[in-house]
Amino acid sequence: MSKPELMSKEAESKGSSVVDLPGNVWKSIFRNPLPSSDRGRAATSFTNFFLHVQPVRVSRRALRPTYTMGLGLISFFLFCILTVTGILLMFYYVPSTTQAYDRMLDLRSSVAFGAILRNMHRWSAHAMVAVVFLHMCRVFFTGSYKPPREFNWVIGVTLFLLTLLSSFTGYLLPWDQLAFWAITVGTSIAGYAPFVGKTIKFMLLGDATVGQEALLRFYVLHVVVLPAVLTIFVAVHFWRIRKDGGLAKPEEAEAAPKPAVRVEVLEPAPVLAFASSSPAATLAPTRTFSIQGLVHGPFVKVGQLEEDTVFSWPNLLIAELFVLLLTLAGVLIVSWLFNAPLEQPVNIMHPPNPAKAPWYFLGLQEQVSYSAFWGGIGVPGIELLLLLAIPYIDRGKAGVGRWFARQRILANSIFLLFVIVNVILIVIGTFFRGANWQFVSPF
Amino acid sequence: MGAAPKTNEPCDAQIPRRSFLAWLSGAGIVGSLMAGVFSTFVFMKPRVTYGQPNRFLIGRPEEFPSGARVAIDTKRVCIVREGNKVAAISTTCTHLGCIIAPSQTGFQCPCHGSQFDVDGNVTGGPAPKGLAWFQVSLTPSGELEVDKDNEIQTGTYLSV
Repeated sequence: MSKPELMSKEAESKGSSVVDLPGNVWKSIFRNPLPSSDRGRAATSFTNFFLHVQPVRVSRRALRPTYTMGLGLISFFLFCILTVTGILLMFYYVPSTTQAYDRMLDLRSSVAFGAILRNMHRWSAHAMVAVVFLHMCRVFFTGSYKPPREFNWVIGVTLFLLTLLSSFTGYLLPWDQLAFWAITVGTSIAGYAPFVGKTIKFMLLGDATVGQEALLRFYVLHVVVLPAVLTIFVAVHFWRIRKDGGLAKPEEAEAAPKPAVRVEVLEPAPVLAFASSSPAATLAPTRTFSIQGLVHGPFVKVGQLEEDTVFSWPNLLIAELFVLLLTLAGVLIVSWLFNAPLEQPVNIMHPPNPAKAPWYFLGLQEQVSYSAFWGGIGVPGIELLLLLAIPYIDRGKAGVGRWFARQRILANSIFLLFVIVNVILIVIGTFFRGANWQFVSPF
Repeated sequence: MGAAPKTNEPCDAQIPRRSFLAWLSGAGIVGSLMAGVFSTFVFMKPRVTYGQPNRFLIGRPEEFPSGARVAIDTKRVCIVREGNKVAAISTTCTHLGCIIAPSQTGFQCPCHGSQFDVDGNVTGGPAPKGLAWFQVSLTPSGELEVDKDNEIQTGTYLSV
């Protein structure tokens, strides 16, 4: 088909019949038909709002499941699941000390899909804490925080903190025994912070003790403040990945950019078909185009493409869809099999003995049992500062983009030690502590 | 530097009007921002609370026979009477705020295993300091009043 033929045919079809209306509306929404050429695949990526966050082409390494294990994506999808289930749960929840617990029971007994929604929300929250932490481990062990990605590591650590805070504020809401005593202990830890501790505790609780004011404050933090901040940080995190040239790769792969990929357009380019009235868009359809390809560093470099890349559409999108379905399936199966725990309603007179926080805070609680200040504020504070400073302390350039690179054996060993110590503390707190936090054997 | 400025070119000893205004606006914006953050904190810190009052009546002295150690969990105090002396000891753990229960040897915390003697001094566990003693007074009506805002020295009793 030659070019004039195409033009005339299109001019005829435009607005000629009411039958074309659905088609025209469809085309006005989706500017490109499903791509069948390389140019179409590129156009699909950058003319769609939701896809343009992603690069047109993506390196094959980044798609390898064994490199990233999809942990960052899983975290994001868990956050999406949490947002959706959380919004739905808000329709039936009342942040009141007299009603909250009854609403939990109602979710189980009289709200359609109430139990499964609460299960999904709870288990996704647990999973998100774990997966965000594993994602952090992945980034460390592959040395992916090296320049220019230092600040994205800092944002990532902030996201981990926000995840912990979201989960912490969330489990006061059922107003059961776990909720009440975990928050009592948690806010007391905050009270040990030097100088501002008492004020922070009072502002968090809105009162001298955990009560209605605290419930309302934690509710607002949990459903509005923290998710909003988290969303902004997630957006910046993703944007920076894109601007830093995608996922970190070994220097060998990064060193030698190949000349631009030539794209032969064998058919009329899809972008043209709908913009034909504008003279600027009337390019010869059989021209050979160079695609700008990957953003390499913070600025676009034209004409230099890395080797070993594939088009995001459909390669990256299919991988992402696969991870999404896997995540959703996992959450659904667990939520179907196991009910989210709900303890007795709050009884201020009788703290459960031992009063235990959820598993991810038991390492902290174990530390706190030795010293409230050092275990709850001092050591976690130092750990946090070190985590944030990692990319600025470890300035070696070698070993980026590979798991457990030999050049990074010292850094990796230190981080592994940090992970192991925390896991051991959590295991002790979970299985080896009984009444009055005495050492007991689980066997 | 000290010389009089020439009329036909801007003097470098003076700040140009443009940058002065820019600095002034910048300072104004940053200042307003800081004032906004500060007011938000002031807003978030409640002036009145809706919880229990920190000063409350606990009953007549006769209700506490000599040797009694009565823990009032709702008020988080333990009333101790020895002979004709009365005192109120806090039952909020100084560690992390759990409610302490009186035990054979004094007090024990169920959360992290802190132990205290009969006077509230730490004998074991992670608690960093002893239990607070609160001011007890006799009201004109003959009832005992505890004031939790008023901490007194350990071992200070009220004679009734």
